[in-house]
Amino acid sequence: MLEDKERLPREVVAMRVAKELPDGGYVNLGIGIPTLVSTFVSDESMVFYHSESGVLNCGPLADEDSQDIDLINAGGQFLATVPGMAFFSSVDGFAMIRGGHVDVTVLGAHQVSAKGDLANWMLPERGVGNIGGAMDLAAGAKQVIVAMEHTDRTNNSKIVDECTFPITGKECVSLIVTDVAVMEPTHEGLVLKEIAPGWDVDEVQSITLAHLIITDDVKEYEL
Amino acid sequence: MLDKKVLSLDELAFKVAREIRPGNVVAVGHGMADVIGKRLSSAPDAWIIDGYGGLISTHGASKSSKDKQGSSFHGVSDVASIMHGGHVDIAIVEAGEITASGDIVSLSTLSTAGLLAPGWSVDLLDNPRRVIAVAKHFNSMGESVLKSNCTVNPDGIGCVDMIITDIAVLEIGDNGFVLKELVDGWDIDDLTADGSIHIESSQSITDGEVDKEEETELSKLYDTGVAAMSDLPDGATVMIDGFAGPGGMPHYLLVSLRDHGAKELTIIGNTAGIARVVNFGTPAGKQAIDHTLLIDNGQVSKAVASYPVSPSASRPTAFELAYRRGDVELELVPQGTLAERLRSGGAGISAFFTPTGVGTLIAEGKQSRIIKGKEYILEKGLRADFCIIRGYKADKLGNVIYKGTSRNFNPVMAPAADITIVEVDEVVEVGTLEPDEIVTPGIYIDRIVIRPKDFSPYE
Repeated sequence: MLEDKERLPREVVAMRVAKELPDGGYVNLGIGIPTLVSTFVSDESMVFYHSESGVLNCGPLADEDSQDIDLINAGGQFLATVPGMAFFSSVDGFAMIRGGHVDVTVLGAHQVSAKGDLANWMLPERGVGNIGGAMDLAAGAKQVIVAMEHTDRTNNSKIVDECTFPITGKECVSLIVTDVAVMEPTHEGLVLKEIAPGWDVDEVQSITLAHLIITDDVKEYEL
Repeated sequence: MLDKKVLSLDELAFKVAREIRPGNVVAVGHGMADVIGKRLSSAPDAWIIDGYGGLISTHGASKSSKDKQGSSFHGVSDVASIMHGGHVDIAIVEAGEITASGDIVSLSTLSTAGLLAPGWSVDLLDNPRRVIAVAKHFNSMGESVLKSNCTVNPDGIGCVDMIITDIAVLEIGDNGFVLKELVDGWDIDDLTADGSIHIESSQSITDGEVDKEEETELSKLYDTGVAAMSDLPDGATVMIDGFAGPGGMPHYLLVSLRDHGAKELTIIGNTAGIARVVNFGTPAGKQAIDHTLLIDNGQVSKAVASYPVSPSASRPTAFELAYRRGDVELELVPQGTLAERLRSGGAGISAFFTPTGVGTLIAEGKQSRIIKGKEYILEKGLRADFCIIRGYKADKLGNVIYKGTSRNFNPVMAPAADITIVEVDEVVEVGTLEPDEIVTPGIYIDRIVIRPKDFSPYE
């Protein structure tokens, strides 16, 4: 059963995404696997993290004995003070996002379509959800990368031809990194780029609801 | 005519200063208006916007143009927001021509006629509560500033309330010019040079020597949160700051608002109260104070928020439960759109186009437009009756600074409400805060409340 076949751990997915962050880039990381990405960015590549809580150049979390309610990231985690940190209001923080000043955002998702539509703010069965900064990031960041599990808890593919959940943004995702594959949404459809060790192309397609375009270039996950 | 007495600039400035009330924001234009703006030493505590990014407080004895106590410095867009957002109480413009219906051509426009170089005269006249035109009554050709018609396109239509020249003070009444004061030795017929314009004479014309009104001290400080919101009515729209956790949230004012008890409130904020169900460092056995206080007290009928409910469906907030019962409405707004709607509300911008939310549920029922090949939706500016925010320190004029990430929506909301109340740890003497460090200038703060020393954000 493919449901039971070993997939890559969250840390490896985060490690693969880390490769995509440009040196000197301004990056916003969402909650979940995206939060782990910064752990795998080398110290040499100067990446500046932006958080909607109103801070740039945030990084490590605070020690338990130096937690300060006036120093948090958007996930509500307490930040350590670091040199070069800058604070600003929400309107400035979102001007950075909406004005195209954030180079890359890494977000989790409930569904992503073959064309790159993103659904990550509401599960229909709950009837209410939180948008937070997701729609601004989807519309404003120069590049939107989704990092997530390939299937949900009940083994439904999160990669679909058309999103059935309410979407966050249309045709905004440029790269999908999951625990079995790396895929690129294009106007022609979803192109399979890399697959996890031990998986073959047919296996990946069989757990994916969207049709995958297979080229000769499909590689094993490159870390 | 030449040998008759005319007012000096200082005397003219004194008459302008009389019109200024404590806490007023006075925007001064070019030329004589600018000069007068620097001579308002007799005015009560007020702010002078000088057009160079300074919000200069008249507080204190020193009247030099920089490093003044209580002043702060801002970028050009912040200054434009102050003017367009209706935060200016009095605009002072040097007039070249004024008509009996209150149309005005500024002297800078008149003297650059054909070049269309009004500077910021047009912005100044955009949205102030009162416009005072200052002028030399006669130009070098002996022509009166009072006209039956403007000879070039006016900078403002029907906007002038008062005219202070070097020989007279007039107001614009329902039937045109009304003379209020006349310098000794002049006659009412002198004012229009040829006497062709009707001037109504006020019954109590004075000769220009007017007693200075008793100066009242600017007081924004209230003893308690409840006292600061005593006039907050049922059905009010209230902005409440806070990103999500306890930082930057006006906990004491939230408790005050519960105790005050106003009902059927529309609350605007990033969340509708999630701090209670998410552990943002809440001590064991305690509960964080958030919007839940108002929800549980049945005071809220609608929330406008970007992150209204718990991140986890299994730990619903009081708001989510009330929403499911149908007790409250929800207007969901993307966080950046919320910030921009608030900014617009405070800056006099009625609506704007944004790509955020295109193709989503958020776009339903909204106008959309393709601009340079990209789709945008129309979002509207947002204002409130009251706003409660959380600062770190304020001075007595209402200048506020914040700490770390607790700045978030505070400075964005403060300009967008009719009455903005700030809760701070400490109120310091004017001059203690550096003008360059002030984030929210006192122009946006109406009331200040000190958070009691023993107050805990947890209960």
